[in-house]
Amino acid sequence: MRRLFFPGMKTDLAIIGQGAVTPAGIGITALLRGHPTETMIPMVSRPHRHWPVYRVNLSDPAFERWQREARLRRASPISYYLVEAAGQALMGLDASERAQTGLVIAFSAGCLAYSRRFFEGILAQGQKSASPALFPETVFNSPVSHVAATLHLEGSAYTLAGDETAWIAALKTAWLWLDQERVKQVLVLGAEEFDSVSLDAYQSAGWLRRQRAKPGFIPSEGAAGVLVRRAKPSDAKIISQMEDGFIHRSRTEAMAAGQRCLQHFDSDLPCYWSAQHHWLGKIERKLTHPPYPCPPDSKPPYLGEAATASAAWNTLRALASMDPQHPRLLVPVWGGTHQIGALELECHSPSGD
Amino acid sequence: MKRPVVITGLGAITPLGENVSQSWEALIAGKDADAPLELFDTTGCRCHRAAVAALPHLPGLRPKALSRLSRASRLAIPAAREALAAARLLDSAGRSLLPVLPLAVSTTAGGMAFGESFVRDILAHKRLRLLGHVARYLPQQQILDLQQALGFEGPSVIIANACASGANALGHAAGLVSSGLADCVLTGGFEALTELVFAGFDCLQATTVERCRPFDLKRSGLLLGEGAAFLVLETPEHAGRRGVQPLCRLSGYDHGTDFFHLTQPEPNGQALVKVMRGASEAAAILPREIGYINAHGTATPVNDGTEAQAYRTFLEDSLNQVRISSTKAAIGHALGAAGSIEAVFALMALITGKLPPQLNLQTPIPEIASVLVTEKNSSRAMRHTMSVNLGFGGSNAALVFSRHEN
Repeated sequence: MRRLFFPGMKTDLAIIGQGAVTPAGIGITALLRGHPTETMIPMVSRPHRHWPVYRVNLSDPAFERWQREARLRRASPISYYLVEAAGQALMGLDASERAQTGLVIAFSAGCLAYSRRFFEGILAQGQKSASPALFPETVFNSPVSHVAATLHLEGSAYTLAGDETAWIAALKTAWLWLDQERVKQVLVLGAEEFDSVSLDAYQSAGWLRRQRAKPGFIPSEGAAGVLVRRAKPSDAKIISQMEDGFIHRSRTEAMAAGQRCLQHFDSDLPCYWSAQHHWLGKIERKLTHPPYPCPPDSKPPYLGEAATASAAWNTLRALASMDPQHPRLLVPVWGGTHQIGALELECHSPSGD
Repeated sequence: MKRPVVITGLGAITPLGENVSQSWEALIAGKDADAPLELFDTTGCRCHRAAVAALPHLPGLRPKALSRLSRASRLAIPAAREALAAARLLDSAGRSLLPVLPLAVSTTAGGMAFGESFVRDILAHKRLRLLGHVARYLPQQQILDLQQALGFEGPSVIIANACASGANALGHAAGLVSSGLADCVLTGGFEALTELVFAGFDCLQATTVERCRPFDLKRSGLLLGEGAAFLVLETPEHAGRRGVQPLCRLSGYDHGTDFFHLTQPEPNGQALVKVMRGASEAAAILPREIGYINAHGTATPVNDGTEAQAYRTFLEDSLNQVRISSTKAAIGHALGAAGSIEAVFALMALITGKLPPQLNLQTPIPEIASVLVTEKNSSRAMRHTMSVNLGFGGSNAALVFSRHEN
């Protein structure tokens, strides 16, 4: 039986829980309708130069319950984003179900703020003053460990790294574990945290240059996730196809990679556009059909760019835009630094088995 | 596992050698790569030694292209090339015969040295060459380097489960093949020494200023290392179509999370016991059938005692039928690459019947003193070997390798 890694392979991943932490607020409603507030942040290399950024409000009362957890006392902001999004997605799952739940988290930059602080400390004060409290929290795997321990998820747990498409790799990993019957359900999350070094990185890549034009690229942060299981007839929202692995290192290669990716999907599928503030936006417009016709005020506000978190936000927003009249939707995942992938989502009328 | 998974190609760059055979021969001969660390300044650290790999020559690359590759890529590419060549999956130009080849790879730091340069430069308000550094430090860039150097693309997964990642990558790849999701996967791990990580372990006082002594009562910490190892995993049918004889099977894998503490294992090692039992059950073998375990054995005071206790619990009465060693005293702890390099050693032990000696033993810890590999018990015929890894955050993983019988 040939499946997941074979182009055109169909999957049946049902989405049974959702959670989101965004710069527009906490929860799915904020994800769909919230308006983020711009904060002007200076670059590290040119402190006089400020750029607009969307930040998560860590003082939001939703985080208070996690701040009381001993395990999270020294944890990085990204761990808080994750545990909150995870908590929302797991709502209603009892202890025995959590014990059979796997966890896959996708990152692009991971614990960026603590890594920068740790290294900056070494540069400023010498290696002798390196912080033993900070270092463990810089490790890519620490947030997964915190989420699993805090929420008592006893199934398999992986941290995956990559660009935006690590979100697809994480969903595929969930599908593999479900296929192997290692777990009953899997919580899949994407998350990023902002640090001022990101501005220098984006600026040197040329991604910030058009910020004053419309549409502009605005760095952001947050998390989102889905709880998935193998689909039953009663499940309404399904990820029915996942493709990734179409690599690029230039605009020309990205166009060709996008074409190779999208040829595995039905050519008449409407597309959820997500790259319109991104350097791959032109390619998205060229290669895909416009999204569903919908009233202009129904388009969710722009939340900025947060790599794997954005991929997760886009998936959830695409799902929310679907109904049985619009049962299939293509959601491309435009990886900015490695590869291009895409998901096909289906919205069924539940048969109520 | 539903479909058998065979291994048809191995490649490794370690501090002991530029390929699998060099590394293995030096390891079996009892050599170690513990040496002063000169890759970066360690003046402010307690420890100033590590196991450093010599970067192999990369044919066909001009100096400019070479300068764009991170140290991690320069370790990963030749190791992957050796594995693909051994599996007869490279053409005469050194390009992959499979244009689409899934990858399951592990690392913990990716091209971190480039990230460090970037932070240094922006803090110094420099504006030149920033893109070259920042664009090439994330782990997916080493994957892209690898894919472009060897001429293939396809789905890739980068597992960053700390020091268990290498074993996770192999187990994940085996799952893809056994579940019918792929016929052939290139899998492995890579890690390059960097200042941030070195200073991190140093500030935790996890590194030793003496000799690295796994499973010794006088152990005082780990020796950091670096390297890369890759393996080609496929179905026997897929290998058979090229007339390639499998080296062995990857017959069992399990993984789990120990919730006890972010950086310390549960003292009685129950999480690791569960994982070893799971891997044995997946391989359909009893613990007593395992001939050799390549242990995680970091030589930190906390890890080795817990790990030894876990072996006693897992092996029960059959403890004395097994031989155990940690190869980290010889090659250092290669973090995200450790699991894949050590899997290669466990596999070579299975194929050759030779066992890597436990170096630097003075007073072995009593729990497993009788089964640590010494010169006297360094060869035996075996049908199964195991490789075990643990990582920050409580990641535990175990792999079982078994002889392939047609």
